Amino acid sequence: MTTTNPLPLTETLAPGDIDALVDVVRDCCASQTPLYPIGGATALDYGRTPQQPGIGLSLSGLNRVVDYPASDMTITVEPGITMGQLRETLAGERQELPIDVPQSDAATIGGVVATALAGPRCYGLGTIRDYVIGISAVDGRGTPFKGGGRVVKNVAGYDFCKLLTGSLGSLGVIVQLTLRLRPIPEKSALVVCDVSDSEMAERILAALVNSGTTPVAIELLAGPAWQNDPVLGDLPGGAAGRIAVGVSGTATEVDWMIEQLQREWNQQHVTGVRAISDAPADELWSRIVEFPAADAPLVIQSSVRPSDVTGLVEECRGADEACSVVSHAGSGIILARFAEVPNDDVARLINNTLRPAAVTADGSLVVLSTNLGNQTHQTIWGGRTDATVVMESVRRQFDPQRLLNPGRFFRD
Amino acid sequence: MVTTASPVTAELTAALRDVLGDAAVLTAESDRAVYECDGFVIDKNRPDVVVFPRSSEQVAAIVRLCNEHNVVYVPRGAGTSLAGGCLPVGGGVMVVLTRMKDILEINLRDRYAVVEPGVVNVWLTKALAGSGYHYAPDPSSQGACTLGGNVATNSGGPHTLKYGVTVNHVLGVEAVMPDGSIVEFGGPSQQQFGLDLVGALVGSEGTLAIVTKAWVRLTRDPEGYRTMLGVFDSIDDTTNTISEIIAAGIIPAALEMMDQGIIGALEEAFHFGFPLDAEAVLLIEVDGLEAGLDEQRDQIVELCKKNGAREVRQAADAKERQLLWKCRKQAFGAVGRLSPSYCTQDGVVPRTKLPHMLRRIKEIGIKHDVRIVNVFHAGDGNLHPIVLFDERDAEQTKRVLLASHEILDECLACGGSVTGEHGIGVEKIDFMKKMFNEDDLAAMARLREAFNPQGLLSVGKMLPTSGACGLEQKHPGRRAAL
Amino acid sequence: MSTTSPLPGSSIDYQLLLDCVHCGLCTAACPTYVETGDENDSPRGRIYLMRGVIDGRLPLDDHVRGHLDLCLDCRACETACPSGVQYGKLIEPFRIEMEQLAGSKAKSDDWFHRYILFGMFPYPEMMRKALIPARIAQVLKLDRLVERLGLLRLLPTPLRRLVQMLPPLKAAEPPLPAVLPAKGKQRARVALFTGCVSDALFRHTNWATARVLQENGCEVVVPQSQGCCGAIHFHAGSSQPARELADANVAAFDLDECDAVIVNVAGCGAMLKDYGHHWDDADRSRRSDFAAKVRDVHEFLDELGLIPPTGRLDLTATYHDACHLAHAQQITQQPRNLLGQIPGLTLKPLPETDLCCGAAGTYNLTQPEMSERLSRRKLDNILSTGAGVVVTANAGCLLQIAQQARRGGHRLDVLHPMDLLDLSYRGLSLP
Ligand code: SF4
Ligand code: SF4
Repeated sequence: MTTTNPLPLTETLAPGDIDALVDVVRDCCASQTPLYPIGGATALDYGRTPQQPGIGLSLSGLNRVVDYPASDMTITVEPGITMGQLRETLAGERQELPIDVPQSDAATIGGVVATALAGPRCYGLGTIRDYVIGISAVDGRGTPFKGGGRVVKNVAGYDFCKLLTGSLGSLGVIVQLTLRLRPIPEKSALVVCDVSDSEMAERILAALVNSGTTPVAIELLAGPAWQNDPVLGDLPGGAAGRIAVGVSGTATEVDWMIEQLQREWNQQHVTGVRAISDAPADELWSRIVEFPAADAPLVIQSSVRPSDVTGLVEECRGADEACSVVSHAGSGIILARFAEVPNDDVARLINNTLRPAAVTADGSLVVLSTNLGNQTHQTIWGGRTDATVVMESVRRQFDPQRLLNPGRFFRD
Repeated sequence: MVTTASPVTAELTAALRDVLGDAAVLTAESDRAVYECDGFVIDKNRPDVVVFPRSSEQVAAIVRLCNEHNVVYVPRGAGTSLAGGCLPVGGGVMVVLTRMKDILEINLRDRYAVVEPGVVNVWLTKALAGSGYHYAPDPSSQGACTLGGNVATNSGGPHTLKYGVTVNHVLGVEAVMPDGSIVEFGGPSQQQFGLDLVGALVGSEGTLAIVTKAWVRLTRDPEGYRTMLGVFDSIDDTTNTISEIIAAGIIPAALEMMDQGIIGALEEAFHFGFPLDAEAVLLIEVDGLEAGLDEQRDQIVELCKKNGAREVRQAADAKERQLLWKCRKQAFGAVGRLSPSYCTQDGVVPRTKLPHMLRRIKEIGIKHDVRIVNVFHAGDGNLHPIVLFDERDAEQTKRVLLASHEILDECLACGGSVTGEHGIGVEKIDFMKKMFNEDDLAAMARLREAFNPQGLLSVGKMLPTSGACGLEQKHPGRRAAL
Repeated sequence: MSTTSPLPGSSIDYQLLLDCVHCGLCTAACPTYVETGDENDSPRGRIYLMRGVIDGRLPLDDHVRGHLDLCLDCRACETACPSGVQYGKLIEPFRIEMEQLAGSKAKSDDWFHRYILFGMFPYPEMMRKALIPARIAQVLKLDRLVERLGLLRLLPTPLRRLVQMLPPLKAAEPPLPAVLPAKGKQRARVALFTGCVSDALFRHTNWATARVLQENGCEVVVPQSQGCCGAIHFHAGSSQPARELADANVAAFDLDECDAVIVNVAGCGAMLKDYGHHWDDADRSRRSDFAAKVRDVHEFLDELGLIPPTGRLDLTATYHDACHLAHAQQITQQPRNLLGQIPGLTLKPLPETDLCCGAAGTYNLTQPEMSERLSRRKLDNILSTGAGVVVTANAGCLLQIAQQARRGGHRLDVLHPMDLLDLSYRGLSLP
């Protein structure tokens, strides 16, 4: 992901409150001007690059904490607050939103909700969709609407929290969010081992399903990015990568899990087993989290059955041996950063090789970012399916003029 | 949107028999009678035909026939809705999914199961017994309710504080759309790109499409449990304890509270040996790794005592754990044995508003001269005030309704919701206007329009405005006593 | 088809119907509903139908009859119902009255057969189907009883004919003596209820029961003047003869002389425990006293504390919950606790263990299709455990399961828990 703004903006407005924002949307609606909501501008190259010139709608002016009843373990915020600010606010009450995103000092909660990309801790703690309990947005007509509420359990009405999470700003501009929170665990650590090849990796991953431990993250790390790691050191000759298991909880629990996992791995004759905690663990953790944000010709994300992870990783590495991978393998999510795309032909690589492999594994695959030219909708998102047809009709209801983020996710 | 639906004709019935076979189509008056209501009995309306499809294709064929004949239709699982979610408003065709009851796949390596909608919640749990995994959402009706119904209503249960509700455990669904097409949303893999229509379908109370298959996530069994039961002299002490447990960074698997009224009822019915002057009993359960449990238990016991708990009972083994849970599980039964009728609501308030809310419920009970007792999921602020009455007393029944409504109004005033688990159905449709403004409701109507432009599916549910308007109601819904 | 006045169900206390709050929590516990998926075949549906007929809202037509006839009266719904609905007190009188109103049409025999034989005798082969009820009647001394009480008139014609036609039947083992001494230190003195059917057809199990009790330090007395528990008559609507049988039993047992009245057949146990509830007359308290002493043998031994048997039985077994034990008496854990103490025995959990096996007396005659479905379902569940032995505390279930296994060509031993315990105490293995 890059920091250069790829959007075709004529100007950028930053309304300071919801009313002002509604006015902007209504004006655009009247003049049929496309509108591009912008949070921390960290994921602007996610999705297809829009072509229609329009107005940038920065949410930076909407960055307040509206209400933080800490003992309810919920917080209501405006979308422009950064993940970093949010983390600090919550840390004061020893609480957190356990969603890990790259560039958290710039990334905003609104953007995180709109893109809804899974982070490493999705294995144990879920994704952002599991934490949004209330949402307000302004649709493509300039009409504000809300769903959910401020209570953790609520089944009144349709779940707009889910509908808008991951909608890439194509149904409405998010203007307020209520989030469920968790206590910050007393201790966290990583337990790491080496894996020599795909078979071994799958064997270890499959065994983790029945582990006595309860990991929050199960990561498979492969490729040059993990060859000589400042924390983990050099990967021994012949090893294909590493598996890192994240555990957290009370100190007693974490200590027990570290021992238990070491025991289990020793029984499986796994090599290079070691536990990392404190600063080195934080360092490694942050490299895992930041992985997709590094500059690269092509970064893809795929979601497949967990048992198909190693196969797809092999597929990526087969296409480009300099490809590096972080896989949230417990959840079947793969982030692959390519160093070289054969003939710079992204479309062919994705459409002929990688995506079919993901689809065979009952999954999907999208391009997170590429600097190898403007790609087609087909290449970025894949083909139209029965499900996307329904998505299109939902979009027509919320943004009949297709002014919100046109072309980014939908084929506008 | 449909203006006027047509009545069921002999032609439609014959066509349904052609597709499904005679044994899967009920038309006799007496055969349709039991389908005129579900767990909510205030409104009743008999469906004109009841059908039992066995496959997604059959459901799709039924939907297409309904469209051709412009007839309304409504899906039904086990019919345990407490909000009239299965009420066939306007009659029409009732699509009962109980014969689609296969667990199609259990995949432990990839931690998911594929089920048909008629699978009873507890069947999946039983099928998983011994595997080390389970399906987490366990609504208290889990012995009877279907997973299809759970998906439709986004069911919760006592363990949602830690494990979440149904939507957190559904990876994908196959649904028959109101145009008769069969569409898959999501599937066995974790993340879907684009709009989260799985999330939109879960909890949509059968108004967007008929779910015919679901991919659900499986959850690792906890290694152990610690169960405690604290007896308190004041509501405030109890709620303070709850807040402090949570502030200590403990997320209990269950946190269930019972007030004096229900303790009395339990004592009268089952003799658990609770002090009758205790104001509240708190059932607390933590689960997870054995390594951490004793520490958490000690912490909780200490917090209970610090907040003035008169007594903290602890379960030493599985048997004692069952005993502690028994009083919670039998709460409703105890009430049923004490009072000819009772009704319950399931409003939600932020946890910190619980003391206020309980005071208000007491006042409301006094004001309307009805007895109200409370047993509820305290951890997530999900109340279940139980109003006791005698249905044969019409005047009292009226007061019960007034009190119930006032309680829900108060939940809204506290920033809460009128329903945490049961759903809107037809029962709470009027509250939608209080909870949401016109724009919100219009947005919901648009979502429904996107899925269900024909407007024949589940009319008169959830949204106060859409669908039902202009529908000619062939059978006036009879109003029975509560 | 609708009947003319009066409506059935008039004798039912309307409050019992109101107990049902229509929550539907019982549905999935009901074997017939689980099979058909039609709520008309569920407890809630049946209660709704009965109430509809009583209220005059629904006609008592063939549909309604069909759904009520399909009920096994297994009472699984009562176990599942959180509101304490007494389903048996609704369906039994309703069906009796439904029957009486409909006259003596062939169809009306259905419930009667079922009640007479519920939980006791399915038929191993089609050929013997017609014979068995009569044989049972004879074994039960029902033939003479029937004549004496003039009950014969009440029997459906075919059964009446058979009762009169049947050749006498011989029992293979000697009857139990009046007293069997305790082994070792005496811990209790118990009276054994031997039943009528079981004593004739399952006398070996009565012997096994007595020996197991002896092993556990119980002196066992077997009152010789005891007789049939009366359940069949009672359920058949013949309340008066049932009362006479009950009173005969109450008189036969000297309560002061024993710590408990032990019963090993689920159906009889349920009836004996109900003696105190059925008739409201001057003798009620005597019957209540008797009922209070009745213990199912598993319940009793588990409470007493089983002296663990030592003989190894290297078997893999699974336990099937008989309806009248699990639902009518709420006894599920005790038999498992006892079996768990047999060295070498592995007890596999049986999926859907508390779902009726479809025996339900002559249910397989009157509802052959449903009976067959349930019994096949039961067998499939049993086979899925991989166990070679099925243990259950009811004769009807024993026969039904054995027959289903035989038909499918599966080798499966079907035994009463007391049979297994007895083998272990005696250091024997399965024949
Ligand atoms: S019988 Fe009991 S469980 Fe069944 S519907 Fe009635 S009250 Fe509910
Ligand atoms: S007695 Fe058995 S078959 Fe009859 S309704 Fe109850 S559970 Fe169903």
